Amino acid sequence: MIAVFNTARACDWAQQIGDTPWPLLPVANRPLLDYWLEACTELGVSKVHIVLGEDAKQIEDFIGSGERWNVQVEYAFARPAEDSLDYLKTISGHWKDGLFYMGGPFFLRRRKAYVSNGFQDLKACRHDFNKEAMFIYGPTSAEVDALIDSSGAGRGLEEVHIHPYAIGSIKAYFNLNLKMVTAEFSRYVTAGFASSDGSSLGYNVRTPPSSHLQSPILVGNDCRFGPMTTIGPNAVIANHVIVDAFSELVDCLILDDTYIGRNLEIRGKIVSGNRVIDPSDGTVVRIDDSWLIARNRPDMRTEDVVRYIILWFCTLGLVAVQVIPFCLLLPMVLISRVAGYSRKLFHDPHTGYIILPVFIKYQDRRSAIYRLFRALSLDKFPWLLRVLRGKLFLCGQPPMRHPEDDELIKQLKQYYPGVFCYQDYNRDSDRLTDSLWYAHIRSLYEDVKILIKALLTRFLSAGRKTASDRV
Amino acid sequence: MLVNFSRQNDIGVIKVGKALTAATVDTFREQLSRWQEAESDVKNYVIDLEQVDFMDSAGLGTLIAVLKRITERGGDMKIAALQKKPRMVFEITRAYKVFEIYENVDDAVKAFD
Repeated sequence: MIAVFNTARACDWAQQIGDTPWPLLPVANRPLLDYWLEACTELGVSKVHIVLGEDAKQIEDFIGSGERWNVQVEYAFARPAEDSLDYLKTISGHWKDGLFYMGGPFFLRRRKAYVSNGFQDLKACRHDFNKEAMFIYGPTSAEVDALIDSSGAGRGLEEVHIHPYAIGSIKAYFNLNLKMVTAEFSRYVTAGFASSDGSSLGYNVRTPPSSHLQSPILVGNDCRFGPMTTIGPNAVIANHVIVDAFSELVDCLILDDTYIGRNLEIRGKIVSGNRVIDPSDGTVVRIDDSWLIARNRPDMRTEDVVRYIILWFCTLGLVAVQVIPFCLLLPMVLISRVAGYSRKLFHDPHTGYIILPVFIKYQDRRSAIYRLFRALSLDKFPWLLRVLRGKLFLCGQPPMRHPEDDELIKQLKQYYPGVFCYQDYNRDSDRLTDSLWYAHIRSLYEDVKILIKALLTRFLSAGRKTASDRV
Repeated sequence: MLVNFSRQNDIGVIKVGKALTAATVDTFREQLSRWQEAESDVKNYVIDLEQVDFMDSAGLGTLIAVLKRITERGGDMKIAALQKKPRMVFEITRAYKVFEIYENVDDAVKAFD
């Protein structure tokens, strides 16, 4: 038998929670994929076929070769827009000896009556959610064939006391975690390892004597609780979480790498890094305020730091070259009244909004001084100063206007507002497509390419308008 | 203009026009002080946050400072039309225990009666 896990499916609600792909979102501090792979071990499945999508790297990093679960893992990429069941048909040669398929955010929730190795009694079944196959189990290829062509009715998993729980919203995800902490966590722990009050504390958790832990709670590894904090009841706290003094965490889910500031009250909320989420209606507030809530681990990897340093010095060089021409030419541009700076509001990934001076042509007449100013990219000089202060990137996506570009921002998972972007040298640039593409292939090479092309294009076109002037 | 001021029944209604964050609090404080100096007979205030879709600790700190200053002068301040996202900031910081919050400006103004 082979297990096929489709991790390529898009999941809107999970994107609201943070950068963690939905298969790695923790349920009671363990990634969802961990439960799936554990089920493989219970079923005696030794071969796992993982269908990867956008978040391939993170999922591969987590599963690796599958040694941890004693399974042999092979990876494949999904074709965009390919239906899951069609994909299963194309790999029918793989499941000649049976199939165990998971096709989306789906949790095998053990009921109280579930017994260890209960999976062994599972019969061929299929469970759908929103008309999509989420779970298929067939010990023979004939049964799998029949299930793929069926509509997915049946009690299958219920018969072995497993509730087929499709996680279709932030609320469902939150409720699942709270149900785990309040009663069900011990069903996933080997008998004898569960504490009587259903609580669990990971490694390296530091709690001062004045910190008040009220069961049931689940706490991951490497957590610090400040003095006079109240943790629980019904709190799920993941790894690398710091809770500062006097704060109270009740009925909540705190995800990895989160800092909770002093004297806060987190009740009925999900906190993930710098995001506070109200699971009842899915409202997300991004707070990047080290006095309140923040991500306690920098997003930067070594290559990000190297890129940042190199580009910072490039910016310094550009500023040094531009400072004298800027000081000489700006007064002339202003006196000629052909153009000038106007302050506009833009989206900012950290503070929500940022005000930037935008160079705007006031009159539609030819002006040599204006063209020279632009050809030397002096109009970008104030933005370059902001790059030096860490407020903007040298190269990146075009800064998005607030509130005009709110819809665009919602579609961007990562937002890197930069001084120079594809639009500076590509007239037919589409802002959304290019922004998504930039976020996908962001690298030092790409940034240097954008910088050189943008500066050259501006210079050679003698400062004529580019697509980036649309802002 | 970040802030719009008006008077309703001798109560100052302060309508904040955008996010109240570290980037905007200085302007807010400056505009408010100027208006308070000009309208020194106004003791009670309603802060209308209908157009405020985000607030950070600096914004919240400023509101607390404004409340303190108003109460020191013998007046009172109420919050009206708090939107969902700033409301969440109020909830996690327990600021809802400090301020009286009303659904809209009219309710807040009536509450002074």
